[in-house]
Amino acid sequence: MLWVDKYRPKTLDKVTVHDQVAQNLRKLVAEQDCPHLLFYGPSGSGKKTLIMALIKQMFGAGAEKVKMENKTWKIDTGTRTLELELVMLSSAHHVEMNPSDAGFQDRYVVQEVIKEMAKNRPIDAKGKRAFKVLVLNEVDKLSREAQHSLRRTMEKYSASCRLILCCNSSSKVTEAVRSRCLNVRVNAPSEDQIVQVLEFIGKKENLLLPVGFAARIATQSNRNLRRAILFFETCKVQQYPFTSNQVAPPLDWEQYVCEIAADIMKEQSPKRLYAVRQKFYELLVNCIPPQSILKKLLAELLKKLDSDLKHEICHWAAHYEHKMRLGSKAIFHLEAFVAKFMSIYKEFLVSTFG
Amino acid sequence: MGKRPPVVLLSSSSDEDDGGDRRAASRGPSARRARTPAAAPALAHAPSGSRKKPRGGSSAGRGRRRATGPAPSGYLKTEFDMLSEDFSECLNDLGMPGSIRQTKELWVDKYKPLSLADLAVHKKKVEDVKKWLEEKLKAPKGTFGGWTLVLTGQAGVGKSVTVKAIAAELRVEICEWTTPVPTLWTEHVHANSGLRYVSKLEEFENFIEKIRKYSLLSPSSIGSQRNLTIILIDDIPVTSGKVSFARLGKCLTDLVQSTQLPTVISLTQYHKSESNDTAMWNSEELESLLQGAGAHKIAFNPVTINSIKKNLVRICKQEGSDLTEELVHQIATSSGGDIRHAIMSLQYYCLDPRRINSSLATTAILPGLKGHDEVPGQDSDGRSSVIASPCGRDETLTLFHALGKFLHNKREPYGDVVVEVDSFPVKEKLRRNPLKMDVPEKILSQAHGKVRTVADFLYENVLDFIDDDAIDDAWTVVSYLSEADCLLAGSPIASARWMVNESYESESMTQLIAASVAARGVLFGNAHVSSSRWHTIRSPGVWQIDQSFRFRKDQILRERYDCSCTSGSRNFCDIVTEFKPFERWIGPLNDMPRSNSLHHKVEGGSSLIDRFGAEGSSSEEDEDAIEDW
Repeated sequence: MLWVDKYRPKTLDKVTVHDQVAQNLRKLVAEQDCPHLLFYGPSGSGKKTLIMALIKQMFGAGAEKVKMENKTWKIDTGTRTLELELVMLSSAHHVEMNPSDAGFQDRYVVQEVIKEMAKNRPIDAKGKRAFKVLVLNEVDKLSREAQHSLRRTMEKYSASCRLILCCNSSSKVTEAVRSRCLNVRVNAPSEDQIVQVLEFIGKKENLLLPVGFAARIATQSNRNLRRAILFFETCKVQQYPFTSNQVAPPLDWEQYVCEIAADIMKEQSPKRLYAVRQKFYELLVNCIPPQSILKKLLAELLKKLDSDLKHEICHWAAHYEHKMRLGSKAIFHLEAFVAKFMSIYKEFLVSTFG
Repeated sequence: MGKRPPVVLLSSSSDEDDGGDRRAASRGPSARRARTPAAAPALAHAPSGSRKKPRGGSSAGRGRRRATGPAPSGYLKTEFDMLSEDFSECLNDLGMPGSIRQTKELWVDKYKPLSLADLAVHKKKVEDVKKWLEEKLKAPKGTFGGWTLVLTGQAGVGKSVTVKAIAAELRVEICEWTTPVPTLWTEHVHANSGLRYVSKLEEFENFIEKIRKYSLLSPSSIGSQRNLTIILIDDIPVTSGKVSFARLGKCLTDLVQSTQLPTVISLTQYHKSESNDTAMWNSEELESLLQGAGAHKIAFNPVTINSIKKNLVRICKQEGSDLTEELVHQIATSSGGDIRHAIMSLQYYCLDPRRINSSLATTAILPGLKGHDEVPGQDSDGRSSVIASPCGRDETLTLFHALGKFLHNKREPYGDVVVEVDSFPVKEKLRRNPLKMDVPEKILSQAHGKVRTVADFLYENVLDFIDDDAIDDAWTVVSYLSEADCLLAGSPIASARWMVNESYESESMTQLIAASVAARGVLFGNAHVSSSRWHTIRSPGVWQIDQSFRFRKDQILRERYDCSCTSGSRNFCDIVTEFKPFERWIGPLNDMPRSNSLHHKVEGGSSLIDRFGAEGSSSEEDEDAIEDW
């Protein structure tokens, strides 16, 4: 088992990083009145951990007995019947799923699942009608329509089920959904907090940490706790005992993006653009999300850029990120950004150095 | 109407006499039935009444289309009126409503080339076919294979006529497959006439069976003086669906492998772009299948304009009608290398001398109009395709041809541009010389390509055509393509709404706009065309990437839950960007030799690309060379 899973706090009491949030959630459960919840925050900050702990707090150990099922939903749209296959994890008390995997048919999934859950409401030990919890991941990836249908179903079935939504950016969730939920922001942990966690794990694993080692990993992880723990484990696998200047190897795709950035800075021509396209293809084939590529690429480019240009470049990156969401072929837009960058940068070089 | 059994028609080389009464025989009601595309060569025998109809439609459509053009509509209105007037007159002249008054033959039949010298086909091709036939006729019997010749080419380039003319010259008999009168399935059901339904394919199979038996018998029973026979298969039944195609294929392969008489199969090629109809896809497959079975292939090119012109002039002389040089030229160029079509147009023109004048008048008016039309580049031979004679063939372009036009981006040299007074002022930077081609939209509509395909192809190839210093241009082009992509994708709402009927219209509208944006963007953006070189058009890499991306994603999603049952599910993008890379060091791959991570990646990636390369070679028939023309 990965350390990320092994040392995941299982209950709200044991949560260390976001203890304040955890306390509030505990109070919420104690009052027996749980509204719909929307967790949002950058990846690797502990949203999912909090959610799992919260569910355990609500239903006790029964919530930990999950089984995975690959369920096929038959959906009658009036004109024809759709069949969708979707993987979901469920226990007696909750269901967890990623509706955005269903692509543009996600709205049917959202409606159907909630409807079905509402039909068979569980009855708790005291014979009182209880509610079931539905955890939806990556809500920000849902299409606008799915979000709208989510809103309707949320209201209609609120008596029988509670939704826990989880996403990276709340700005991509519609206003209507946001206002129906209690929004919980989960910050990225600070570097100190990460160091504490790493030291805690090190103690449990009986490892000897050189001075500054944990801090270095924390910096490298860019305030992403999951990544920090993964880096930590990698270091352990690669070399133990740790040496004082040991660094974890960088992520391969990020390294690759760095190369692309270097390529772009070196030469600005259609030929180079074509070469860059091939490299993008390779990243895309490996399923790296184009948004992440663009983000990382921008970060890399900005590092080496004259500050006069930074503003303009950011503007274009945002522009093409938007286009990417509107369009269907990400590579078109990625390349358009690179071409624009090349064009601007070349002009800049010519005007400065002649 | 009786069902004709498949006939092995032994006709002497004096095919014309026979043609007359066959025509009379087929003038029953059945002659007006829809013809299969493969029956095109038989078209010449059709009674004129049924033939004129479709042409009427297309010609009227042409007039209408032109009337909606950008030029002042007043002139065009009168022109259109004139055309339609002409047209109705012609229809009357031709005795539309079934009057069988004219005993005149169609010129296509009347001036059918009787000798090799008359053929409009290129000398060398004729020579090739002749040589092959002579060789085979002399060759000893008893060997299997190598007895088949496949002629390919567009409709109306003279495939069958060549064979017939050569046969006449060599004094050999032609044994021909005559298409029997088809019984349509629906008719059969309704008429309930007690006839057995026989599909065309079945009939064809029977025929082939007979030939095979016949050819096996011939050396012994008929004797050596009568063995100078060739078999001409002109009309291959249309098949739809894999099963019937396989039957046809098997039947033909059997024929090719077992025949002992020289057999000529003529296959009409269709433009790729026209063949969205699945029934027509076959022609290429069939061709390769026949070649695989050991048939020799000779491809006919479209007849050259000069050769068509020569023939037209000859016919004019014999008919005693004096058409002007210009008109003959026009007919020749607008026929697109289809000599049968050209002759028929000629006959149409010669029906009534008045008409020549009027249609000449229309062409005389038009150049005046085009003077201030915004569409440039019609001075020389570009015009004839735009101002086609009322009955010219609609031109079609292949997709690659259209792409080539966009990518090469031919423009008038700067000096020729007349600055238009009323056009609004444009900055120097944004000004472009007039295009040396039709309006991009027109080219797109001629190419029949799907918009998505066009955009992908343009995207894949355009960088090759941009000058190496002009990165600004590259940006302009790519940004337009990115806009086009957005238009094509529409919002997610639009894509999910595809089943609603009313959205069809707007969808196709956005499609058209997207195509226009893509094509014009490429034309406008590429301001500094790199010096013209020979380029190969690659098939879009995006397609392969998309495919393998989906495959990978499915794979990852399937694996996702194996490891993480205890701790809830993981998000897809987290897996890809974080867990997957780490998996290389920790987790299942623990024992692997730990070399530098990136090497792994790059190697893996490049082997992936290699695999694409291998796959790509199978789809290489997509690739097509575009030469600089």
